[in-house]
Amino acid sequence: MPPPPSQSEKIKEPIFVKSVIPKRRQELLKWNGWGYNDSKFVVNVDEKQNIQVYFTGKRYPIGEVPLTHLAQWAIDMLNIDLTKPPKTSQPLPTESQYPESKIPQSILQQLENLGISHSIDVVDRVVRAHGQTLHDVYTLRNSVFERIPDVVVWPTCHDDVVKLVNLSNENNIVVIPYGGGTAVSGAVECPTNEPRPIISLDTTQMNKILWLDRDNLVACCESGIIGQDLERELGKMGFTTGHEPDSYEFSSLGGWVATRASGMKKNTYGNIEDLVVHVKMVTANGVLEKNCQVPRLSCGPDFNHVILGSEGSLGVITEVVIKIRPLPKCRKYGSIVFPNFETGVKFMREIAKRRLQPASIRLMDNEQFKFGMILKPEEGYFSLVLDGLKKFYLTKIKGFDVDQICVMTLLFEGDESDVKLSEKKLYEIAKQFGAIPAGETNGERGYMLTFVIAYVRDLALEYDVVAESFETSVPWDRAITLDRNVKQVVTNECKRLGITHFIINSRVTQTYDAGCVIYFYLGFNHKGLGDPVVLHNKLETKARDEIIACGGSISHHHGVGKLRRRWYPKTVSNVGLNLYLSVKKELDPKNIFATNNLVQSKL
Amino acid sequence: MDISRSYRKKMDVSRKYEDFLEFRRQENSNFLWVSRTLHPQVAYIQETPPTPSLHKHEVLHSPKIQELLEKLSIAQNVPKTYFEKQVKEILDEIGYNKSIKIIRWLGMVLTKICLKVSSGIYINGNKVQQIRSMMGNCPVIFVPSHRSYADFILMSYMCFTYEIAIPAIAAGMDFQGMWGMGTMLRDTGAFFMRRSYNDDSLYWTVFKQYIYQLMTRGDLPLEFFIEGTRSRSNKSLMPKFGLISMILKPFFFAQVPDVLFVPVSISYDRILEENLFAYELLGVPKPKETTSGFFKSLKILKEHFGSIFFHIGEPISSKEFFGNSIDRSIHNIAPLHKQELTEQEKSAIPPLAFEILNKQQQGFVLTIFNLVALTLNNTYTNKDKLPNILELKHKVQWLKGVMESLGAYIHCDDVERGIRECLVVHRNLICFNSDNEVCLVENQIQQGKINTVKLKAHQLTDQVMTYSVPFVELQLYVNPTLFHIVNLAILLAVIQKEGILNKEDLWDRYHFLRSLYAMEFVIPAQMEHTVFESALEHAIALNILRLAANKYDLGTNEELQNLLHNSFKPFLVSYSTVMLVLQNSPQTCEQKTILANVQRLLEDAINDREEFVHPYTLNLDTLNNCLNSLCAMLILKKIIRENVLSFEIDKRQLDVIKRRLDVYIPSLRINEDLLVNQQLQNKL
Repeated sequence: MPPPPSQSEKIKEPIFVKSVIPKRRQELLKWNGWGYNDSKFVVNVDEKQNIQVYFTGKRYPIGEVPLTHLAQWAIDMLNIDLTKPPKTSQPLPTESQYPESKIPQSILQQLENLGISHSIDVVDRVVRAHGQTLHDVYTLRNSVFERIPDVVVWPTCHDDVVKLVNLSNENNIVVIPYGGGTAVSGAVECPTNEPRPIISLDTTQMNKILWLDRDNLVACCESGIIGQDLERELGKMGFTTGHEPDSYEFSSLGGWVATRASGMKKNTYGNIEDLVVHVKMVTANGVLEKNCQVPRLSCGPDFNHVILGSEGSLGVITEVVIKIRPLPKCRKYGSIVFPNFETGVKFMREIAKRRLQPASIRLMDNEQFKFGMILKPEEGYFSLVLDGLKKFYLTKIKGFDVDQICVMTLLFEGDESDVKLSEKKLYEIAKQFGAIPAGETNGERGYMLTFVIAYVRDLALEYDVVAESFETSVPWDRAITLDRNVKQVVTNECKRLGITHFIINSRVTQTYDAGCVIYFYLGFNHKGLGDPVVLHNKLETKARDEIIACGGSISHHHGVGKLRRRWYPKTVSNVGLNLYLSVKKELDPKNIFATNNLVQSKL
Repeated sequence: MDISRSYRKKMDVSRKYEDFLEFRRQENSNFLWVSRTLHPQVAYIQETPPTPSLHKHEVLHSPKIQELLEKLSIAQNVPKTYFEKQVKEILDEIGYNKSIKIIRWLGMVLTKICLKVSSGIYINGNKVQQIRSMMGNCPVIFVPSHRSYADFILMSYMCFTYEIAIPAIAAGMDFQGMWGMGTMLRDTGAFFMRRSYNDDSLYWTVFKQYIYQLMTRGDLPLEFFIEGTRSRSNKSLMPKFGLISMILKPFFFAQVPDVLFVPVSISYDRILEENLFAYELLGVPKPKETTSGFFKSLKILKEHFGSIFFHIGEPISSKEFFGNSIDRSIHNIAPLHKQELTEQEKSAIPPLAFEILNKQQQGFVLTIFNLVALTLNNTYTNKDKLPNILELKHKVQWLKGVMESLGAYIHCDDVERGIRECLVVHRNLICFNSDNEVCLVENQIQQGKINTVKLKAHQLTDQVMTYSVPFVELQLYVNPTLFHIVNLAILLAVIQKEGILNKEDLWDRYHFLRSLYAMEFVIPAQMEHTVFESALEHAIALNILRLAANKYDLGTNEELQNLLHNSFKPFLVSYSTVMLVLQNSPQTCEQKTILANVQRLLEDAINDREEFVHPYTLNLDTLNNCLNSLCAMLILKKIIRENVLSFEIDKRQLDVIKRRLDVYIPSLRINEDLLVNQQLQNKL
């Protein structure tokens, strides 16, 4: 823990943050998958056909140790033969694979004159043509995008953006804002039928912390700052935003605002809409902002909520004043084992009712619990479960069924005494639900795995397995049936499509007063069944239809983008849809932010 | 889902049935079999397997019931515990139990009985296995036809045999009164439902919640009879929508991923209750089900009942059936227990109910006796010479070909052997006369003193009863064949009376008759046209009609025309007579009076013997169908006062309909005579 900054310490503002992620992203990050180039699952097969799977690199605690159970699990669950040579990705795209940039020379010249860095290099353009949906990654590995940006520009400040938007509006050029590139909604993909030139506006070089306001505990940051950079820099000064979405290593502040992001620790710190105090958005019609930095105001509809969730369709978010908190003195993990999923959910409901949530509380279903065990380097499902507790105790004495057990992971933050008290209360209630506290290690592992799990898909893709996640929010009383029905619908649909090996599992990731969040993972072996992206879309569409039928929402934090557009009108009503369209028309009459997110524009 | 396709679809003639009693016959010890370790497949696997008492507990503590009790308690200023006690009592009246001991014991008894009185219980075993393998993921509802008390006992026995969890069965309260029987049925999974005319709102709220509970938290399959009651006529009744609506509610509320309905058609070579049914159809009151009655029925052990056929239909997925026509998300706002089905949802249910019924009707297996019955019935109607066994064989052989071409499935290895078996199984109904011809058995009936209060209509004379009962019983076995031929018979009736018609006019007349008889030969209105087209094709193919210059005319298949004509005639006569009586009734008239007058007129006509009037015309089922049909056409209006049903008659509309119908009545001579007759009687 860093020492608290002394009051006398003068910090030079603005703080020019050196980002972990370079301007040429592909130097550090995979151009065709998730995360760092040096972090991935690899499979080694020796002459005796012994398979060894491990995770490379030392960035995550799971790295460099053999994962002895993964191979068998892959065979059992997904019919993956790891001894077979993996399907490799195509190499980095070349100029010949994509049409030449359509950006007129005159525009490039004007960019030059404005002093705004830009590139028409095909790799730069392809890297910013997508987010992290299955479609995106599968396309990167196997084919080409129908449409990529014609030029990438890197503004470095709000004024640069104002100039860029004016230039684009005058010349009728499309602008697609790009932050961390972690969208899983298709939001940054170029509309395929767009005839105008497209600019990808990469905000990452606009990542200064402009100022800190210690009296009011807010910081003003440029929107391109990446989560881990923001936290590192604030941490040096003894602060945190507490906003930690699972993608926070790579996603940007502007992206969070534009998609209505939610962080793991929202119970303590709030979701992005609770954290944002002030925000600037550059629109084709000028800058939308407020004249004060106040905690709340009663002043007509809150236009922050026009910006939040706008998904790049109304303008570019440039500067955000965000709440900060002193770093917590104590941070502690925990875990609880439940006899089954339903009991776990009931427990969560009780905790929410009493508002006793720690910073984070998550419940993994049985399948995820087992998968977590698989990713352990040691032997046996139960070898390490639960400090000191043995399988025998759980199954024989407590009568838990191995095929029903669920694990809850907890994260406490705050003063030591508060954490202790919170732990005590939680574990006491857990006991009343017939659950058993299962120690810190399991909790910590659970959260670590959250970051690692995103890497699994890249391995799976090499063996004819595709995987994707989707989420929803739902009232408490419908959570269990939603979870169950969705799994059933996916199972039925897999059978119908001839998919024999698949996984569909879930976890409850957030709790609220009035409901919770359920996060699903879906993966399947598509060998011999045709285009896996098409198959997956069929499955996910059925799943979303069922989610909505069961009282769930279009999305809790992933956003709508292009992927979930079809459910937007019904979600907001026709009046709502027209309201959005009139806002769009007012802020962007030429539709230069033609992302086609939320609503397909009528071009 | 395209329902119309299923109405057009031809029955797969190559069905395969296995006799599942065969194993029982062969094994050394039935006892070892009934006491084997069971691995019953449940319908909807639950994380915590529920028990019967858990269901009751959860119903009582559901928000729906609790809120209702609080409301009642405040409104009536009575402690809530008082109502809780009531709910508990209601739940004890409703709720099923499970006693594996009783089930095994019953399994033993049933095995012994079935081996003794039946020659086999046949089932399409592949389908059972298929359904078994589909189970586990959502509620599964078995929907058997209901033509005998034996239905649900045999259904449970079938499940026991194939290791499917024995369903929770919706049973009528009348069973509960039978000493010992009620408990026994309850122990094998029956739950009890009061008759719908009971309007105790607390009871119904609890009952509905109980169904909701079984659907969402239960793991057993459910079983109910969509016709609501046993069909006395051995043909399908109009579906009821109450219970199926309760069953579908959790689906519309997205509380279950799907609901699978499995139509089951159970056909009997000989119906256990045939004699009882004949009396009931004629209006002799049904004896209350008492246990002594049950033990009396043990006499059946001395009889032979031939074979029993289970046809398990293709499961119907509610989700697929409703497809996009139902938006389940409309229930997303507000707690579910404060919501009810919407009008749109309610109106979506009848098509599904009809589809299930249609699948049952298509599934029935016909036996040789159905064809023998049809043949004999025709012979009597024509007053032809009775057939000897060889002649009968030829007729049946011919009919078999006809019926098969119409999509019926007939279980038969050898026609002659089949007929000889009929003569054994149905020796109470048919026999050889002194000329070695096959004829109906006549038994003198003496009714003794009849409690007239219990009479449902007219008191028929002993003479008419003696004459009629065999005909009515025979008709019970004719009726199942009508599903396949009634549409042809209607087309024929139209062309016979109206001569050459173009398709449009033919459809117009057909549509008139078909909808008038929609309750007699159950068909949903929206399917009439599809059925019409298919019947036309068959009529041409069988040369009942022929098509020339785009017009329809009579074909030359006189033998079949005669048969069709005669099989439909009783229904024409009954309906016409009902209308005749209505025309001559006061504006508002009690149901019982109408029925009695109709029967009186027909009784005279039957006694006349000049012209053959089929005694089945007397049956109350058909007469009531006619009344109900006229109600649906808004010609009659039901009025219930002090539990007495009356009808208000729109005479102008009635005249219009009657005139249209009478075109097709084979002979009007009777009716006019009768009319005079009736007026005379009225004067007396």
